[in-house]
Formats: sequence, structure tokens, C-alpha cells
Amino acid sequence: MTPITRRRLLASAGIGAAGIGLGATGYLVGQDAAEANGEGTGSVPFYGEHQAGIDTPAQDRLHFAAFDLLTEDPGELREMMREWSKAAAEMTAGEMIGDVNDEELAPPDDTGETVGLLPSSLTVTFGFGPSLFEKRGLGLAARRPAALKPLPPLPGDELNGLESGGDICVQACSDDPQVAFHAVRNLARIGRGTVAMRWSQLGFGRTSSTSRSQDTPRNLMGMKDGTANIRAEDTEAMRRFVWLGSGDGPAWIVGGSYMVTRRIRMLLEVWDRASLEDQEQTIGRHKYSGAPLGASEEFDPLDLDAEKNGQPTIPANAHVRLASAQVNGERILRRGYSFTDGVDESLGELEAGLFFICFQRDPAKQFIPIQQRLGSMDALNEYIKHVGSAVFAIPPGAKSGGYVGEGLLG
Amino acid sequence: MNRLTLRPALAALAVGLLAVALAACGSSEDAPAGAKKLSFKITDAGCIPHDASAPAGPITVEAENDGSSSVTEIEVLDGETILGEKENVTDGLSGSFSLTLEEGEYTLRCNGGDQEDGTLKVTGKLASKSSPEVETAIDNYRGYLEKNTAELVARTRPFVAAVVAGNVAQAKSQYAAARIPYERIEPVAESFGDLDPRIDARENDVPKSEFGGFHRIEKALWEEGTAKGMAPVAKQLQADVEELQSKVKNVKLQAVQIANGANELLGEVSASKITGEEERYSHIDLVDFKANVEGAEVAFKSIEPLLSKNDPKLAKEIEADFENVYAALEPYERGDGFVSYEDLTRSDTRKLAQTIDILAEKLSQVPAQIVAGEGG
Repeated sequence: MTPITRRRLLASAGIGAAGIGLGATGYLVGQDAAEANGEGTGSVPFYGEHQAGIDTPAQDRLHFAAFDLLTEDPGELREMMREWSKAAAEMTAGEMIGDVNDEELAPPDDTGETVGLLPSSLTVTFGFGPSLFEKRGLGLAARRPAALKPLPPLPGDELNGLESGGDICVQACSDDPQVAFHAVRNLARIGRGTVAMRWSQLGFGRTSSTSRSQDTPRNLMGMKDGTANIRAEDTEAMRRFVWLGSGDGPAWIVGGSYMVTRRIRMLLEVWDRASLEDQEQTIGRHKYSGAPLGASEEFDPLDLDAEKNGQPTIPANAHVRLASAQVNGERILRRGYSFTDGVDESLGELEAGLFFICFQRDPAKQFIPIQQRLGSMDALNEYIKHVGSAVFAIPPGAKSGGYVGEGLLG
Repeated sequence: MNRLTLRPALAALAVGLLAVALAACGSSEDAPAGAKKLSFKITDAGCIPHDASAPAGPITVEAENDGSSSVTEIEVLDGETILGEKENVTDGLSGSFSLTLEEGEYTLRCNGGDQEDGTLKVTGKLASKSSPEVETAIDNYRGYLEKNTAELVARTRPFVAAVVAGNVAQAKSQYAAARIPYERIEPVAESFGDLDPRIDARENDVPKSEFGGFHRIEKALWEEGTAKGMAPVAKQLQADVEELQSKVKNVKLQAVQIANGANELLGEVSASKITGEEERYSHIDLVDFKANVEGAEVAFKSIEPLLSKNDPKLAKEIEADFENVYAALEPYERGDGFVSYEDLTRSDTRKLAQTIDILAEKLSQVPAQIVAGEGG
């Protein structure tokens, strides 16, 4: 059938009460207002060499979900990934999902809350957790990449098991929160019986820029975050630090990456009581300009050797120093989001922070050593705790008509 | 499921649930047997003739384009809702579509014609005749309804007697047994206006002065520890369940309703049983949970032959999902009853809720499928 474009549906609904009832043809009635106005852009292709949502300029909103697989039947998993990919392609194109959306007696395939909304740069990125490969019935053990392992205990961890791990993940990013929510909700519905949602996280503001076209945003501490991030335009850095090449593992993962997520709770009430100087010394940057301490512009180089009155200008335990590629020799692509989930029940304080997401070629060489250093020494630890953690292998993108994970499951 | 095969059936449904028996067409191109044929020419002037009439029932609209390049579409609308249409009937081509209409005036439209709209007048009453399978499904479910309302009346009697006698322990021990037959058939009870709230309202559902029925007595027995003042409430409850029993005998049932009833029962489980809200004083929520599921299963089994014709795979999956729900409940069974809702951990309720969601998602596909199945 011809897909129902959400904006067209809205345009046609104006001609009468018929609305969705117009069916497969009704939405063609009249002019397509959205297209005529040159709207309807902001659609990121789902199919491609890499999955979208990694080198895509970071959108403003996130809905992330981790699922437990309820079956050990590889056929069921394959079928779900096929259906998920098809639905993701439809949603990213701004179409309603499924075939059944106008039958009086049937629940519509698409839950409908994005009717009338643009694609809003939606990307849907799928990943497979280490636990997936431990399900014997699936027979995937031999195809597990050596680099895909649960993260070791890290200093500063205060993990909640119910907010950690997962067999499969869905990262939905969009410039419209409702579009991102709709993606996760509908995928969960399609997957019902095959997977159950284990945990999920909404993010309301990107905390990293992943493209030179974007300004550096601020995190909830009011600090610019992601100044030194890898930019998608830097294809050499993307190749070196993010994308998996041949020789990086089994063939099915080539063109993919590894994702680490950390739910980092910020103790904002405590942070807010810290003096401006303390805040800047903790991070190692000036709060408002984002410039490294001792420099004046955001993108001035970090001078880790600079001293003032015999002390390092950027303190030994400042966050930027410990996280710096100059110290680690390694970089990661950060793509995190600020979150708040209301009030911390036991403390009555804001339950808020950073949902940290990063991509890399090998967590053991990139995220883990960086976090080992940060977790044990970072001055920022006084104001944060890591409460959720997960790692996923991100397969390469799907070819048009194919599905994500085909190389693994096909 | 090809969406086109369902559309005529649904157009028919828009005119009433009789459609279970009437939606006899396989696709919009196939004329159902016995359909009234109406023929039109699509011209620059519009549909010729502009107006038409037909008896209520299945109708096939045939249209031929007689030299118009600008008008290529014919539709039947109720208000502005398109009930049936044929598009892209270009010069020299013809096409048709079928739909079932009840009495009324509809718009006949040739889009872009000089006179775009005419009137399609439908007179008479729709004949209702159900297939033997539908009759059997309805009879089976009616039998279940009558059996459970009889049980409800019989089991409420000793409960009410104990309450009237002020015997709290005796009343408590009779409570769960009386609840079960009601919870099995609740959606039907809900179709009788205020009967369901009178029998089964929770405290916050109704104004304080109207709070009666099972849960008022439940509150007295478990929270207040006395049956004092409950005699009139109990007697009213007995009268209400007897009224339900007599009303059920004459209730008109349709296959689609039965299918929807099964979904409503699972909705009940998700909304109030698995949350512990229904039996908030006695905490016998799992008893209601199982009764709701049993009621949904019997409703499903009654109409399963209609579903199996059209989608045997879905029917099998739903059967298996019912078994999974019973298996998930089993660890909590104790003797004739269940553990108290208060003994369930959050991970217990989460698992039970997910098992119900899996079943309910599939069961929600059934009503449309049995209509399509009737169209065969």
C-alpha cells in the first residue's frame, strides 16, 4: 500500500470529518500543504552504511529504551528486527506505521500521536547487549565480538540493576519529544511478547554537539559540554575512534560501533551551592565562555602544562584534564542528553542529571580506561554518581529493504 | 491482512453491528451475492444519473467513464465520511465497489463534475440473518452468561445472609466465591447502565451516598471489622444481582461484542486487578484477576471458530498466551484462592502485567478479524 504521510493526512483531514477514515486514497485528496510549503524536510534516512543516530548531528530530544528478550527462538528475534526496521524506516520518513490504521474494529497499527508532525530528524538506532549472546537457544555465542563484554565494576559506580543492562536497545532521537516517544512506544508494542522493556530514559536536551554546524550546549551544571567532542565531519577521527573496520571483529559488526550508556545522577542542590570558582576548578573550564582555565575562547587548546603560582592552571583533578585525549590518547564520540525524572523519592531532591551515551571502537581501550581515571580522581565525583550502565554492539546500517542485525541473525 | 479486503466490511459496520452477518464481500471489486446493482456514467457533468435509490442492504456501485478527462472518481459518502469509492476511472474504463447501507440519505459524488453531488436514497430495513457459526458462538457465550449469573445469585445469597446476621467471619469466607462469577462476565453487566456501579463500584467511583454493593460491604468487613449497618446494603446487592440475572436472559449479543468483551476483561485486569485497586480491603485481587481471564477465555473460545477461518495462526497464538497467563498465576494459588495482593512484590506484579499485555495485544486484533472472516 501507499504509506500514509502524517502531514498529508492532516492536510486532507481538513476537507471533512473523514480523517483517517479516508483510507488508502483519501489523503491524496487536495493539495499536499506540507510539501507545497517546502516543509517535510528534516527527515534522516534510516537505511545506509551506518545506522543513523551516531554521526547524525545530535537532535534535541531522546527516548532510549533497553529490552529483555523473552524468547530464545532466533526466528522470532529475526522477525522482530525485520518489523522494527520496517517501522523505523516508516517513522523516520514521517509516515504512519503498519497497514491497518483506518479500520473501525481494529486497534490502529500506529498509535497516532505523531499525526500532523514532521519527521523531526528522527533517528532510530538498534544495539545488542552482551547478555543477548549468552542465550543458548539463539546460538549466537560464536558470533559474539570479543570486545562486547559487560563493563567491569568501575570506581564510583552506584548502579541500580533495574536501570542497567539489557539484551537489545533502541535509541530514538528527534527534535520533537513526541516523535521520539512515539518511536519507542510503537517499537515496544510491535515487540510485545518477544521483548519486554527493562528500563527507559527520556532526555530533554542534548549535551553534546556532534557536528561543526552545532553550538556547544550546556549541561544541567550550566557548563558547556562536549567542546572537545569528535565531530562527524572529522571522518578520520570517526574512522579511528568510532566506526568498526574489517579486522575489528566478526563481519556482521563491520560498519557498526560500540555504545556505552551511563545514567549519571547529578547532585544539583550540592552543585548549586558551590562557588563559581569551585565549579570552574572542578570542570577545568570557565563557566560562561567554556574556555579552558587560563584561556579566553571556548575552542582554545587545553594547556595542561600551564602553571600559575606554581600550581597547574587546570587542576590535577579537573574533569577536562582527566577526560582529555592528551592524557588518555583515546577519544570517544559523546552523544548524551540531560534528563529529569521528577523528585528523588527518598531525598526530595531533583532526580536529574546526564544520560551519557558514547560510541567507540573498543570500550576496553576507550570508555573504560577514561572512566577508571575519572571515577577514581575526578573532582566532579563530589557532585555526581553513576546509577545506570549498559553496553551494546551497534550493528551497521541496513540496506533498503533489509533490517538491522541481518548480518548477525540472517 | 490486505487492508482493501476489510474496507467493505467496515463500511458495513459503520451502519451497525449486524454487519457480522452481512459483510459478505471479499474485496471492493467483488460484488456480494444478492447485492443491488446501481450503474452510473462518470461525465464532465458529474455522475449520470445524479441521484439514485436502493433498498437497505448490500449495494454494488458500477461506474463507467464516458469521455471525461477531469472527472475520474465516484464516491458514496455519509456526511463527509467516505463509505466507498472508486478512483482512477479514466476515459473508457469502468469500475465498481460494494458496500452495505442502512436506511438514510447518502451523498453520491463524482469529484470535479459540474454537478458534483447527488443523493443516494436508501429505504427499508436491513435484514438480519446470522450464519450458523455466528449463532453457535452467540449461543455458547449466552450459556456461559446464564450459568454465571445463576451462580452469582446463588453464591451471593449465603454471603448476604451472613452479613445480615452480622457474622463477619462467615461473610468474609463467602466473599471471594461470590465475586468470581461476577468478574467473569463483568462487561455484560456493564452494558446495563447503573447496575454495574450498584453492584461493583469502588468507593471513589461514585458519590458517597451511592456507595453500596460488594465493595461497600468489603470495606465494612475488612476495614471496619463489623457488618453493622450493612443489612440494607446486602439486601440491595441480592436484588441487584437477581435483576442482572433476569436482564441477561434477554440481552442481544453479537459476535463482535463478545470479542470486545474479552478485551474489556483483560483491560480490567490491567487497570484495577494487577494494581490492587479493585479489592483494596480484602486484597483478593488475584481471585478477580483469574476470573477476568477465565471470562475472557470463554468469550474467546466461543468466537474462536469465526477467527480460525480467517487467521488460524492468531487463534493458536492466543490459546498459547492464555496458557501462559494461567501458568504465571499458578505460583500464587493457595488452596481454592490466592495469596493476598499485599504479598506480591513489584517484580511479581510486573511479570503478571506483562503476561497480560502480551495476550491482550493479540486479543485486540480479534474483532476486526472475525468480521473479515465472515466476509471470507
